[in-house]
Amino acid sequence: MDLDQKRTRTVDRVVDSVDRDVESPESTPMCPFPDEVLEPVLSLINSHKDRSSVSLVCKDWYNAERWSRRHVFIGNCYSVSPEIVAGRFPKIRSVTLKGKPRFSDFNLVPEDWGADVYPWLIVLAKAYPFLEELRLKRMAVSDGSLEFLATNFPEFKALSLLSCDGFSTDGLKAIATYCRNLTELDIQENGIDDLGGDWLSCFPESLTSLQVLNFASLNSEVSFNALEKLVTRCKSLRVLKVNRNINLDQLQKLLLQAPQLTELGTGTFTQDLVTRPVADLETSFGNCKNLQTISGLWDTNSLYLSVIYPACASLTFLNLSCATLRSFELTMLLMHCKSLRRLWVLDTVGDRGLEAIGLWCPLLEELRVFPADPFEQEEVAGVTESGLVSVSRGCPKLHYVLYFCHQMTNAAVATVVQNCPGFTHFRLCIMNLGQPDYLTNEPMDEAFGAVVRSCPNLQRLAVSGLLTDLTFEYIGKYAKNLEILSVAFAGSSDLGLKYVLGGCPRLRKLEIRDCPFGNAALLSGLTKFESMRSLWMSACNLTMNGCRVLAKEMPRLNVEVMKDEDSEDSQAHKVYIYRTVAGPRRDAPPFVLTL
Amino acid sequence: MDVTLGLLDHIPAGDDGGGAPSGGSTTARSILTGSKEDNMNTMVISGEVNSSYPIVDENLDDLELGLGLSIGGLKSKAVVATGGWTQYARILTAKDFSASLVSKPNSCSSSSSVNIPNSSTSGTKRTATDSVSPPNGTSVVGWPPVSKAHRIPSSANQIKSSTENFISKPEQNKSKNRTIGMKDCSDERNGISNKKYRSVKVNMDGTLIGRKVDLNAHTSYEMLAQTLHEMFFSRWSSTEAVKPSRLLAGTSEFVLTYEDKDGDCMLVGDVPWQMFLGSVKRLRIMKNSDCNELAPRFQENNERYRTDSV
Repeated sequence: MDLDQKRTRTVDRVVDSVDRDVESPESTPMCPFPDEVLEPVLSLINSHKDRSSVSLVCKDWYNAERWSRRHVFIGNCYSVSPEIVAGRFPKIRSVTLKGKPRFSDFNLVPEDWGADVYPWLIVLAKAYPFLEELRLKRMAVSDGSLEFLATNFPEFKALSLLSCDGFSTDGLKAIATYCRNLTELDIQENGIDDLGGDWLSCFPESLTSLQVLNFASLNSEVSFNALEKLVTRCKSLRVLKVNRNINLDQLQKLLLQAPQLTELGTGTFTQDLVTRPVADLETSFGNCKNLQTISGLWDTNSLYLSVIYPACASLTFLNLSCATLRSFELTMLLMHCKSLRRLWVLDTVGDRGLEAIGLWCPLLEELRVFPADPFEQEEVAGVTESGLVSVSRGCPKLHYVLYFCHQMTNAAVATVVQNCPGFTHFRLCIMNLGQPDYLTNEPMDEAFGAVVRSCPNLQRLAVSGLLTDLTFEYIGKYAKNLEILSVAFAGSSDLGLKYVLGGCPRLRKLEIRDCPFGNAALLSGLTKFESMRSLWMSACNLTMNGCRVLAKEMPRLNVEVMKDEDSEDSQAHKVYIYRTVAGPRRDAPPFVLTL
Repeated sequence: MDVTLGLLDHIPAGDDGGGAPSGGSTTARSILTGSKEDNMNTMVISGEVNSSYPIVDENLDDLELGLGLSIGGLKSKAVVATGGWTQYARILTAKDFSASLVSKPNSCSSSSSVNIPNSSTSGTKRTATDSVSPPNGTSVVGWPPVSKAHRIPSSANQIKSSTENFISKPEQNKSKNRTIGMKDCSDERNGISNKKYRSVKVNMDGTLIGRKVDLNAHTSYEMLAQTLHEMFFSRWSSTEAVKPSRLLAGTSEFVLTYEDKDGDCMLVGDVPWQMFLGSVKRLRIMKNSDCNELAPRFQENNERYRTDSV
């Protein structure tokens, strides 16, 4: 087989050589690998990153890949247009779309910014009438969109809405009513209008296919009768997460009907009047042999927590972020949870509770400690550096941590990463702004220096506390695999950002707020931004002119500035920069200027 | 003119972040908002102190015995003469609450008339719960970065955010200084502050699930009414019928009652706050129609307190 002949047919020369192992002696010179073979092989590849690489090999592979792709992942809905997607991939069954920048979770993005899913739905309805799955994150979804979705896709099966807003329970009614083959309805943490719970009663009697139902974040009461019937007839149900209005008696009835559950989100987990003995509940939990995840557990205490002990041995994920447990309650619970891989808790458990984690959960891989009262200025008990150190001592496999605390030391962080060098995600939030190492009064630079030096696999980092440019020098120099970086109230000068943009070869998402980084720093990353998904900078020292220069130099970036009534005209208060093949936004609201 | 001076206890906030295990999330929030609500009350009532001095003075002359509520030796004229900030037992009337609540922004609507300095970039559609900004001083939007997902939904948070936005910094500081000055009165208050929390059950007619509320985290009837309003009526916030003020005044569809030590059903708001704390066993929100026999008692009590004063 003539390698030169093959090379002239390539579209992109990114991959220089063809893997000789896949060449078949029977293949003709024109097509070394027939589509009939290639497509089935490629259909086994699911990771979108791998598929992206496959499509770059040669034109044949590009075509084979596009015909065999069933799921498309779009990390930034404005980086591409729905028409382009539909044009390239003819046979999509599942779409994942992400919209607003992550800082919109913290109210930094104004309402009506965009990321409306409706224009996508219109195109998808024409191109993929047999679409089965839609997963949206931080998109604006209206009731109209949900109705359109429910009525235009006859094969529609799975809907997942994470941190979306703009719809109400009326939209959910439409989904429940019209999606005859629904297998998944997953509503998480959205800003929605809860107009009442009777959407659940709209599921027809004939619907038995449901596998995933998550309405934990909705507030209104649903008809328990309808819920019980639904759970009873859906024998494949494996994920059920109810909201706080479902009480213990009701939960027990549900568990009776669905012992096959693998993930359970309870309702309120306490009761003034227990109508059944607590032992009954315990038995119900014992009967759920496949439970891997438990969440919910609102208002619970040790008395009621004990009923879940029979199910704890096989638990891999325990989400206690809605339960204000104290250290002794957590300790008693964890003694039963030896298989735990992921644990989310509130800081009410204190350092003592964290010690228990180190003691009882040696397999722990992920820990998230959320603040029970993040906005209380006076010194509240919470967790300190010693809690994190104790966990790191007992859990050598820990690789994901999200930790909210009021105080930290450089030495503690260094110890933590020494105990657990496998960190992939290190997100530390010292809640008091600009707080130094409380023992030495020095900046927290050395802490994050230790993190990036000791953890070669670090993919995601969030920094906090008093930080100088030195932190960023460390990051730029050592964090070779870093993909996501979040920075707030840190740095001393342009140098900080320059270091990061000059290093971190794998950087994809950079979000910065309230740092003294200016135009020079921004422009130092000119060539880097096209290899990134997006950059967010708010309340820094950028000006409109600086942004204009960037926009002019890099036409394939969208440089968007959000105007604020408060800020001066020359300042660029909020800047969102992202690569795109779709050109400037056509649906930008008046306060978003594309330069 | 009604005497509208309020009794204010500064209950030290932030005992332990954990709060009570059962009914936990609500009470934990309630404890920690104690001081913030204080400021609100102080600010509102301080304005009224001056204007009502003459009336109070007159009434105090008649007073032989104080009601013994967190008042260190009530010497009428001397107290007034020093112009010092002291406390008086509260006589609550409907006017009390409407006066102080009118100025509070409705936490569930987007009232453009209220100046919310930190959320100008978040748009007006966000409810107060969404744009919770941190207290005293920092005033930073979106910090700490806790998303909606992981904020515990609780009534107390909502109270805090609405007062936060309303009070400007200098006034908060001023109020804080004042409440500190009040600390050295009353052994009764010391007795209460020793307890971490004191929660009582609250049941509403027509609702299956009762709730618990931490009384020690509240310093006034008004605060309690607000908490209960958020707990039970938050989805009806747009309805005029159930504003917290009307809940207490008994002019809405529901009436707030309590069961005292002796098992009697009493209307909330009759007695001074401290006395209420001492005798309340549980709370109940009744439908107004069930409660007619209590109404005359309320009036009667009111009269009595007015003549005896303080």
